[in-house]
Amino acid sequence: MSEGSLPRSAAQASGLLHQLEDAVLALLLGALVGLASLQIGLRTFFDTGLPWIDPTLRVLVLWLGLLGALAASRDGRHIRIDAVSRLFSERAKAGVTAGTSLFAGVACAVVAWHALRFVGSEFEYATTTFSGIPAWALESIIPFAFGAIALRYAKRTVLEGRRALRANSDDAGAGGDPG
Amino acid sequence: MIQAGLLLLLAVALLGAPLFALIATTALIGFWHEGIDLSVVAIEIYRLAEMPALVAIPLFTFAGYLLGESRAPDRLVRLTHVMLGGLPGGLAVVALVTCALFTAFTGASGVTIVALGALLYPALLRAGYPERFSLGLVTTSGSLGLLFAPALPLILYGVVAQQMRLEQPVRIDDVFAAGVLPGLLMVVALSAWSLWVCRRAGHVRAPVGWSEARAALRDSIWEIPLPFVVLGGIYGGWFALSEAAAVTALYVLVVEVGINREIRLSRLAAVMRESMVMVGAILIILGVSLASTNYLIDTEVPARMFATIRAHVDDRLTFLILLNLFLLGLGMMLDIFSALVIVVPIALPVAVGYGVDPVHLGIIFLANMQLGYITPPVGMNLFIASYRFERPVLEVYRATVPFFLILLGVVLVVTYWPALSLFFVRD
Repeated sequence: MSEGSLPRSAAQASGLLHQLEDAVLALLLGALVGLASLQIGLRTFFDTGLPWIDPTLRVLVLWLGLLGALAASRDGRHIRIDAVSRLFSERAKAGVTAGTSLFAGVACAVVAWHALRFVGSEFEYATTTFSGIPAWALESIIPFAFGAIALRYAKRTVLEGRRALRANSDDAGAGGDPG
Repeated sequence: MIQAGLLLLLAVALLGAPLFALIATTALIGFWHEGIDLSVVAIEIYRLAEMPALVAIPLFTFAGYLLGESRAPDRLVRLTHVMLGGLPGGLAVVALVTCALFTAFTGASGVTIVALGALLYPALLRAGYPERFSLGLVTTSGSLGLLFAPALPLILYGVVAQQMRLEQPVRIDDVFAAGVLPGLLMVVALSAWSLWVCRRAGHVRAPVGWSEARAALRDSIWEIPLPFVVLGGIYGGWFALSEAAAVTALYVLVVEVGINREIRLSRLAAVMRESMVMVGAILIILGVSLASTNYLIDTEVPARMFATIRAHVDDRLTFLILLNLFLLGLGMMLDIFSALVIVVPIALPVAVGYGVDPVHLGIIFLANMQLGYITPPVGMNLFIASYRFERPVLEVYRATVPFFLILLGVVLVVTYWPALSLFFVRD
């Protein structure tokens, strides 16, 4: 995403946000490697194990997956079929990207809203999961990630839409597919 | 009405909308149509946290990215060259074997062409191999090896097949065992072709002296145990899949960052992020497809699909031929991960209806997908190779044709000879 088209303070804030995201991803991945190895070590050398490690590992996969997906939406790197974009001019391509981003943003927003309702009901009924951890806390990543992805696609819709509408495409070369 | 909606979704897909959003939309519309509360989609996505096999995916992907980022590819080529360089056409076989091994560890994501092709292509040209042959070889090698454990597509097939509530559940270690002989057949067939081409072209051997052999061995001393630990651990049944993945990730991390010091700590965070972008792109598709698959099963779409096809196709052989054609086309259009989660939930019950073993179907599916990567005109690896080696894409097409035909032969053998895949599968 071309940060140059945003005001400087917004660009700085989004840079900080990206760093925070990267740090959280690294932290969670480190925890995954560390805990999984710890469990193997405990089993091999002490013939024991901690019961909470296995469910924690599985929850970490969900969190890593969704936060990874959030990072992928940062620069439009989600898996898609790239069959016809070659045929379009730069401006038409920006218009098409704006349209598909709008579609993706709305879909994510709907999922986020219903996920939020789900998490809310889990909170209300105080469902607990392994080791007595409240279920809503572990599930909350779903509305958060889909909501944030929806915002990213909304931003992409606006930026690409503006590029498509601009009459003289003097920055067409700087655009194209980021990442 | 439904047809119009599906056509609209297809158009949006072809225009380049992210596939996970399309699958999510399909699930949302489906559940809404059935009058089911849409928060069911979130419940299905949460099932990503309930499958032990999935723990292996971020761990293996991270390890693969670390290996690709380090100088391990150089060392792998050097070591294989020591072992096979003495044969006529040896370097071509080196390319095939190293790529297969590397793809098994990194998943089929185009990383192989980028990381290894960049080393092998110039090396082949320097050694006097014909340019067209070399280009075809590295392009084809880019997806070779995805039938060997612990390649991600094999794991993902097992995970998706397990959602299907089959009478005979699919075990991931069975899928691993089933990939061995078909994968070896691909490597052997391509090697035989390469040796034959090079014999005719009169290529001399490039034997390696003892001092180079010792140096190459010393150079890769830390990576040599890795395939033995992982493959031996998985195929020997010592490790659960997720444990093998954890051992691999920890080991590679310690070796490449701590001992070889080829990835600096500052770079490590970026590698972690890059690998998790890939994991996120796959898992979010898997997550939303858990919802759409559930919808498909609830509304008995696979059963109705089977009934429709059954009305026109009565024998297994015809069904398999049609399946081959369909999967080949699919492999051109769709990357292997999306194809798995979108098509397997429909194709698997239909194939089982025709008496195809579910484990065998997995190998048929992936072998076809692998071929799809190099099928003109839009196979993905053709474009990656064209871009990476700066050759016109038409030239890449021509260079890849003989390799394509050989792999096509192998894929047909794999499809119509179930015993090849099921030989090592325990009952």
